[in-house]
Amino acid sequence: MNYPVWELSFAGGGLLIAMVAVIHVFISHFSVGGGLFLVLTEIKANREKSPAIMAYVKAHTRFFVILTMVFGALTGVGIWFTISLLNPAAVSVLVHNFVFAWAIEWVLFFIEILSLIIYYHTFDRLDPKIHQLIGWIYFISAWLSLVVINGIIGFMLTPGAWLVTGNFWDGLLNPVFWPSMFFRTFLALIIAGLFGMVTATFQKDREIRQTLVRYGAHWLLCPFGLLLASAWWYRATLPPALEEMVFSRMPGMATFLLGFAVCSALIVLGGLVMAIRMPARLSRPLALVMLLVGLTYIGSFEFIREKGRKPFVIHGYMYANSILTEDLPSVKQNGGVLQIAKWSLNKTITDENRLEAGAEIFTLLCLSCHSVGGPFNNILKVTDGLRPMGMKAIITTMGSDLRPYMPPFAGTNLEKGALVEYLTSLQQK
Amino acid sequence: MDIASFVPVADAIPVHWFWLQSLLTATTFLHLVAMNVLLGSGIIALVIMFRRGEAARPLSCAVAESLPYSMALTVNLGVAPLLFVQVLYGQFFYTSSVLMAKLWFVVFALLLIAYSLLYLHKVGMGTSRTSLTFLTIAVLMLLVISFIFANNISLMQLPENWLRYFDQRAGWLITKGDPVFLPRLFHFLASAVAMGGLAIAVYFEFRRRRGDGDTDQWIRLGSTWFALTTGINFGIGFWFLGRIPSNLIDLSHPVGQLYAALILVSIPVAIVSVIRAMSGKIYPAAGWALTAVLLMTIARDCLRLEYLKPYFSLDILPQRAQYLPMVLFLLLFVGALYLTVWMIKLLHTSQEVQS
Repeated sequence: MNYPVWELSFAGGGLLIAMVAVIHVFISHFSVGGGLFLVLTEIKANREKSPAIMAYVKAHTRFFVILTMVFGALTGVGIWFTISLLNPAAVSVLVHNFVFAWAIEWVLFFIEILSLIIYYHTFDRLDPKIHQLIGWIYFISAWLSLVVINGIIGFMLTPGAWLVTGNFWDGLLNPVFWPSMFFRTFLALIIAGLFGMVTATFQKDREIRQTLVRYGAHWLLCPFGLLLASAWWYRATLPPALEEMVFSRMPGMATFLLGFAVCSALIVLGGLVMAIRMPARLSRPLALVMLLVGLTYIGSFEFIREKGRKPFVIHGYMYANSILTEDLPSVKQNGGVLQIAKWSLNKTITDENRLEAGAEIFTLLCLSCHSVGGPFNNILKVTDGLRPMGMKAIITTMGSDLRPYMPPFAGTNLEKGALVEYLTSLQQK
Repeated sequence: MDIASFVPVADAIPVHWFWLQSLLTATTFLHLVAMNVLLGSGIIALVIMFRRGEAARPLSCAVAESLPYSMALTVNLGVAPLLFVQVLYGQFFYTSSVLMAKLWFVVFALLLIAYSLLYLHKVGMGTSRTSLTFLTIAVLMLLVISFIFANNISLMQLPENWLRYFDQRAGWLITKGDPVFLPRLFHFLASAVAMGGLAIAVYFEFRRRRGDGDTDQWIRLGSTWFALTTGINFGIGFWFLGRIPSNLIDLSHPVGQLYAALILVSIPVAIVSVIRAMSGKIYPAAGWALTAVLLMTIARDCLRLEYLKPYFSLDILPQRAQYLPMVLFLLLFVGALYLTVWMIKLLHTSQEVQS
């Protein structure tokens, strides 16, 4: 109610953030796991005195630098840009509460960049132990970045005691902090293995290719059990109401849960298949398919986490439409949404402006989750075939046990009527 | 309509605003230096390559090699001021960003493409026609980004522009009626070219001291670009100063006094930097130039406060004190500085071993 709303119609409902975020989380997890992959593979090359494996590490590092530094870093900035446009009020809460967590992450990001550039440029120039040390510095700073960001993302799902104390540490070290940290760490290792297999399949020497593809497959299979264990721990840590919402009540969640389960099986299966000796013309496309499986895997997980948080953007604190839970009762008491919202043009509803006011109410309350004609949460689809009475009934039951995944309608009865009128007009267009 | 009623309510800050403002100023300074080097050296390399062709190879190779890393550094050093500006001025910054959301979102896409092009330019070592095309497009994109950034900052500090949102809600708003917009943008661009020239001079001075040959002409070239564009920038700077509304700077107020003092001091500092550069004292020239940029950065922050005075002052920000996270950040920052120096020394030594 504090900020203007960017009127996205088709691209609304989370399409933009989904596009940027899924790519970012995939690459950013690679930037963590891949750091360890580089160092351990370099150690392996030195231990086995294998110039071929060392040449692979160098080539993989070049690929790693470009992918993580260009696409990883910039999609990270892109997420920040995007969420601050889509939900400035929520970002403001995150930034004000965790400014020094973000600042710490910035310093770690700087060390990541510097150490990675130096690591890339100093193969053969530094003593191997010192070179590996630079690699370790990169990996540790990248992993610590993950730890910090994990705390902030977890906060949005389970703010825990912060809701009462407002304390930085209560928010950062929230209930899902530890399981989520382990889960993401193991996921990062698996993604490192997926990328490692892809670059390995480009090795010309058959023996080396096979050795490295198998090595990459180990990165999938070894952490997998631990990943599942941490996923189970993650689920067990969720407050019961949230757990029920995620796994039983949220409409559309089944697709992502199924996607996660299928991809889990495919990761194991793919890891086993990739360990079989096969020609490059088979292993390369298979490795690329596995990469897509990995993208779907992490995408499914992030969708489950994001969707599970509904109807909140910060669970129990702020609804997805930026209304604070504590402010909800006062909105009606103070004349309704249009009166309270700083950025509404129609402060009162008259016969002349009903449709315009309804459109404004839709913008303020619904647009953060619903698109108009877009692929995500299309309001036209949701209201298709509904009569005004039916729409009114749905709006009235939002936030109740019937529709707990939606925020309660904050407006007055008059505003509800105007919104229904606007929704009906959308159907007629 | 009362414009002040549209300004969102600010969230509480965790430490006294002075800390956050100091961090904002310090990190903005670092970002501006990195951005200047990136954009300025890119523009100069482009011009020199078009004018001299193959003869410019030492310069174009050096710049092509450094640009992706300058970009990485610029992006990284841009994150911190973006963070601190949101903590102190979020209610203005988020609003202006949403009002020009489509343009703001485009920044991210342009950055991504420009960054990729700079890597491709590096692969071509900056000399082939294709490689030059990549650099040209990348520089154009960086110029568009600077235009969008300047727009956002202008929109942020001029809430009078905000009400046009009701006619244009799709995020295409650009600033209107800001008399300082163009001079400020040109002032920044000229500063970028000047600092780019100085960075080239510093780089070749570093190589000269290591005993490399064929450095003098590039040191001279960099210094000349620095001196000329700084000279031009004095003119643009006075144009900028002349366009600032006369009633904006309140000289009876400490912020206004500080602003005036900083401008007065930064002029001779910039002159000294030019004199040092032209007399071949490159490192001292860089020291003076950086001091001038720092002074101007502080002046810029004062100017923002003057613009926002009808709606806001830092004193009114609510505070919910929690200092431990900041202490941890500062400790990590110091540790990171130590680590940075150690790693750069290591890189330097490794190059010496190689050579």
